[in-house]
Amino acid sequence: MAREDESQDLRRQIADNERLIGKLNQELAKRSDDVRIIQQISSEITSTLDLDRILEIVLRAMEKTLGFQHSMILLASPSADRLTLVASRGYDQAGLGAEIEFGQGVIGVVASRKKLMRLGNVGASLSYLMAVRAKMEEAGQLVPGAMPPTLPGLPNVHSQLGIPLLVKDRLIGVLGVESAKPNAFDELDEVLLNIVANQAATAIDNARTYRMVEQLSRLKRFFSPQLAELIVAGGTDDPLRTHRREVTVVFLDLRGFTAFAETADPEEVMGVLRQYHAEMGKLILEHEGTLERFTGDGMMIFFNDPMPIPDPAERAIRMAVAMRERVKPLGAGWRKRGYDLDFGVGIAKGYATIGAIGFEGRWDYGAIGTVTNLAARLCGEARGGQILVSLRVAAEVEDLIEGEEVGPLPLKGFAKPVPACNVLGLRGTREG
Amino acid sequence: MGMLPDEIKPAMEGVIPSHVVTCSRDGTPNVTTISQVYYVDPDHVALSYQFFNKTVKNIRENPHALASVISPETLEGWDLEIEYERSETSGPVFDAMDMRIEAIASITGMKGIFKLKAADIYRVKSVRKNVDERMPLAEMDG
Repeated sequence: MAREDESQDLRRQIADNERLIGKLNQELAKRSDDVRIIQQISSEITSTLDLDRILEIVLRAMEKTLGFQHSMILLASPSADRLTLVASRGYDQAGLGAEIEFGQGVIGVVASRKKLMRLGNVGASLSYLMAVRAKMEEAGQLVPGAMPPTLPGLPNVHSQLGIPLLVKDRLIGVLGVESAKPNAFDELDEVLLNIVANQAATAIDNARTYRMVEQLSRLKRFFSPQLAELIVAGGTDDPLRTHRREVTVVFLDLRGFTAFAETADPEEVMGVLRQYHAEMGKLILEHEGTLERFTGDGMMIFFNDPMPIPDPAERAIRMAVAMRERVKPLGAGWRKRGYDLDFGVGIAKGYATIGAIGFEGRWDYGAIGTVTNLAARLCGEARGGQILVSLRVAAEVEDLIEGEEVGPLPLKGFAKPVPACNVLGLRGTREG
Repeated sequence: MGMLPDEIKPAMEGVIPSHVVTCSRDGTPNVTTISQVYYVDPDHVALSYQFFNKTVKNIRENPHALASVISPETLEGWDLEIEYERSETSGPVFDAMDMRIEAIASITGMKGIFKLKAADIYRVKSVRKNVDERMPLAEMDG
């Protein structure tokens, strides 16, 4: 009988060993799979400079290949004190734009410490701490502080894993995964996510830099280089976010330009425009105006947005007068070549709605309001050499200018005729 | 060496509360429920020291203690004979524990109130898996 027992033991041991080998082989295969998957993710995200695409690739990989159902990416603010949620996957509400302060919750602490953190007992910890808090409040030991606002994520979260996205030692943001199950993540998950996070950090950083450079060159079309840089660096409010502001609007164009463009050679037309734009552009920059748009010979400039400035009306007047002066010799030259082109300006002041106008892929900075219509119509009514301003503007700069009453002018879009003032020149420098 | 097997790690994530038994110098035992026994390495665990209490008092008089942890996956329990070695107020173990406490405290409005004073480091002297006595014991200590 003893020998039967022995061989039974032996058979059981062999079976156990075979099971163990099978399990080890499975783990090995899974690890090779994981490595291959990681390699693929890496090559995908480093092959594009499109930030949104990179974020999408990373989170899709979180779900499809690594099995994390709920994930999010947050990017650090330039001030390095809070994070903004820029991409999420696996949530009912995307939560884009939600902010987390450094030091708040798992994500916030991962950011402030720049270290990975894995918690498998969030639910239990919260219950425990709330009980401690209640006890302390009861015993009068704690001045009940306000509960901080709910952070984005699963409402019934039990496991969280947060990884800092670092380039060298600089924090770009945080990658987080969550689960409604306790202890959902283990050390292997940490290793895998670490590898993805390193690649993602570099890719995101490059994409962001690229996007900033793009944004900078786009903004430089409207704003001075210094202002463009300030906007991109986050130094002023995003001018493309819709807002209302009181602005002084200047419309100018060349009388006779349409007829000229129809009859002259295209090269001549371009030549005139180039000269004209160059001179006008210099003056706009000098007076710190914002060129909102130009269409051929017409230009719209305003003052007091995106940067508020003192005396916008005065600046507008000074700029218009300087422009008229600059155009005079140009006009003489053009007349010699047989082109009858003359300069006219309209200026008005009032509230406008300003922000991004356009569509996905082509957003431009623009202003809309009665004030822009008024300035445009005044420009339309201005004869060659006239700078027509609304009475409101005239009143503001009455000490500065020599003016003459004009109108009231019937203007399209305005119920009653509008009185205006023609600026003959600046006091003390009266032009002929 | 290596007292703690890998399979005990899920029991040390604080999902199911653990128990710690200590004893004062004069022989008075004390049991307390704690949220987590932290895994440090195969031969060490850590307990968080946040408030001064009987456990902290006892351990400084008598370093021997017993920790009982339960795995949330299998509901199996382990008893660990542990001995207090030292308290750390800095370093990787302290930082890791401190981070976790800070994260939870911050979302319950307890920032600054619920704080880690020190990480108490214990050496693991023995580990015993609690299984049904009728089946052969799977012994893990040497």
